[in-house]
Amino acid sequence: MNRGTAVELDSMRLVGAGGIQCLVCDESNTADAETCHECHAPMVLAHQARNPERAPLMLAALGPSGVGKTVYLGMLLDMLSRQVGDMQLTARGGFSVNLQQTTVAALARNEFPSKTPSEPDRWNWVHGQIRSARFAEPLELVLPDLAGEALFQEVDHPRSYRIIHALLGRCQGVLVLVDAAKLQSGSLDEDFFTMKLLSHLSEVTGDRRTGLSARPVAIVFSKADQCETCFDDPAAYAERHAPGLWRICQQRFTSHRFFAAGVAGACMTKRLRGGATQSIPLRIEPRGIVEPFEWLMKSLSI
Amino acid sequence: MQPVSPFESWLFFLGAAAFGTLFTHWPEWLSHSGEPDESAGVHPGVGNSDQEPETAEDDPSAESTAEPVQSFLDEMLSQSRYAILLRPQLVENLTPEQLERTRTAFTDAMCLVPEGDVLIRPERPFTAEAEGLHAGKTLHLAPYFLDRFPVTNAQYRHFVAAGGYEHMDIWDREIWPAVLDFVDRTGHPGPRYWREGKFSRGEGNQPVVGVSWYEAAAYARWVGKRLATDAEWVKAASWPVSIPGHPLLQRKYPWGESMDRSRANVWGSGPGRPVNVDEFSAGASVAGIQQLIGNVWEWTADPLPIDQSQLQPGDKTNLKTLRGGAFDTYFHNQATCHFQSADWAMARKHNIGFRVAISLSDLSPGDSPSSSKSEDEA
Repeated sequence: MNRGTAVELDSMRLVGAGGIQCLVCDESNTADAETCHECHAPMVLAHQARNPERAPLMLAALGPSGVGKTVYLGMLLDMLSRQVGDMQLTARGGFSVNLQQTTVAALARNEFPSKTPSEPDRWNWVHGQIRSARFAEPLELVLPDLAGEALFQEVDHPRSYRIIHALLGRCQGVLVLVDAAKLQSGSLDEDFFTMKLLSHLSEVTGDRRTGLSARPVAIVFSKADQCETCFDDPAAYAERHAPGLWRICQQRFTSHRFFAAGVAGACMTKRLRGGATQSIPLRIEPRGIVEPFEWLMKSLSI
Repeated sequence: MQPVSPFESWLFFLGAAAFGTLFTHWPEWLSHSGEPDESAGVHPGVGNSDQEPETAEDDPSAESTAEPVQSFLDEMLSQSRYAILLRPQLVENLTPEQLERTRTAFTDAMCLVPEGDVLIRPERPFTAEAEGLHAGKTLHLAPYFLDRFPVTNAQYRHFVAAGGYEHMDIWDREIWPAVLDFVDRTGHPGPRYWREGKFSRGEGNQPVVGVSWYEAAAYARWVGKRLATDAEWVKAASWPVSIPGHPLLQRKYPWGESMDRSRANVWGSGPGRPVNVDEFSAGASVAGIQQLIGNVWEWTADPLPIDQSQLQPGDKTNLKTLRGGAFDTYFHNQATCHFQSADWAMARKHNIGFRVAISLSDLSPGDSPSSSKSEDEA
């Protein structure tokens, strides 16, 4: 893992001419830095976001490892780029297409994309413009695909990942993904993971006195295709299968809503040598992907 | 209950003898014939299709507006059970006029797929085993008939109204304990998305969805047919052409080699939900079979060709193959004649329906509908 300072002490850089602030952590970087020396966010985000009068909208997709963040985000970006509903996303820079490309290409081959590495400098970031009849002008959007392991290390040991700490403090809206298939199977881990995450988030973003957070949070039950009842009433599903999560949402987040989403119509789990398993999508039929994003945008009153 | 004519009694006796368990519950079944509620279901290929039950109130089981069924034959035809009447054991008992009506109903609703070879070659096999099993494997199929359209809500309503979920003999024995779980949103027997045993207003001519593989198989038996095999489905869609000395020519889509979004209800080309079974008619196969691609996935009779021992224990391993893609299929390469998907046999999904088939050999040799239609169809 590469979390330390990696910038060489170059005399030209120390001059500070043309320095630029990281979009995520506000640290000053040299103009030619590829990633922030402090948090490792790609500096191209800051370069591209330099001109707009309004700061880009920053969202975060959170959830444990394996919950399907990459698949969800990749599919969301692909659907937005095809203009589902009244919103359309246009990527800014080739790097913004990487997440969409790798996800969609894998799904079209009936595979799930590779696991996101823990190192921040290897995460995929999206910087795009959202166009909608509701906005007078295109809206800049920044959205990273975080690694689940890194996220929970930060939750367990705050500030161990500077980039996540900074991102959680800065993002205006949050998508929290919860594995509906695991909840359905009776696993309590998913409920505890999400409670920890939301508790951490409310501490970072909430009022210090009341603990209440007004930041909109969309709780998305991923893999809902494997438990169809989740689609019928996601809030009731949360109350039944994830009582801890449901309660903390009621008590700490004034603006939240539950959603159900699925990308694969069905999966089968294959045993591999050594005891590992591999989940294989049997077909791709996205459901409930765009709705949480649209709700977030409306909740942000943009 | 209306008086049962000698012909009906006799025909019934023959039917019971021929199909054993199909008519086990005959007293209850016959009692339905006296109810003034059995209008023709919506079926584009069958007569009286103008009597579409637009609402749940005037569907086949409603009591207020439907015409009473006049005879046993009328009821069988209105329930799309013509294939039973054309079985060798029964067909000789039909009058010429009755036989003609039955044959017309059959040929309007089903298409002949002639004998021949079909190449089963998944574009993206899920496992090495499937690849080895099927890569380039050519199967020879006997002639059969396949439904021109997927089974509609209105057609399936006849099955529900006639007590299809209570006639255990038409269900696979292993599923008997689970049949009570096959209920709609209100707890009545029927497809998952119905309410109080009825489909929603205006959906009579849409394909029935929310039915498991077992429900599809039970319905098929009730109408005297069966689910098409995986290979039969592929052959009907891809319409192979065999030229001696050359590889089998098979279409990727029923209409050609590339996706044409105007011919199929897939993601981005339709309203994002199932449409009536007679829409997107330009996507019909060579034989005139419609909506093989798009609208709803279709159960086939076969299990997914995979080594069950390689699946995760405790996982849903009873996987049956699905073909054709649905209204929400995202990638074009997953809505082709060759793409094979699957789902758990108990799955009751919003986008999975079915159509049924019957072998030519199961019909009366002299009076099979094919004797008058096969040349035209072929």
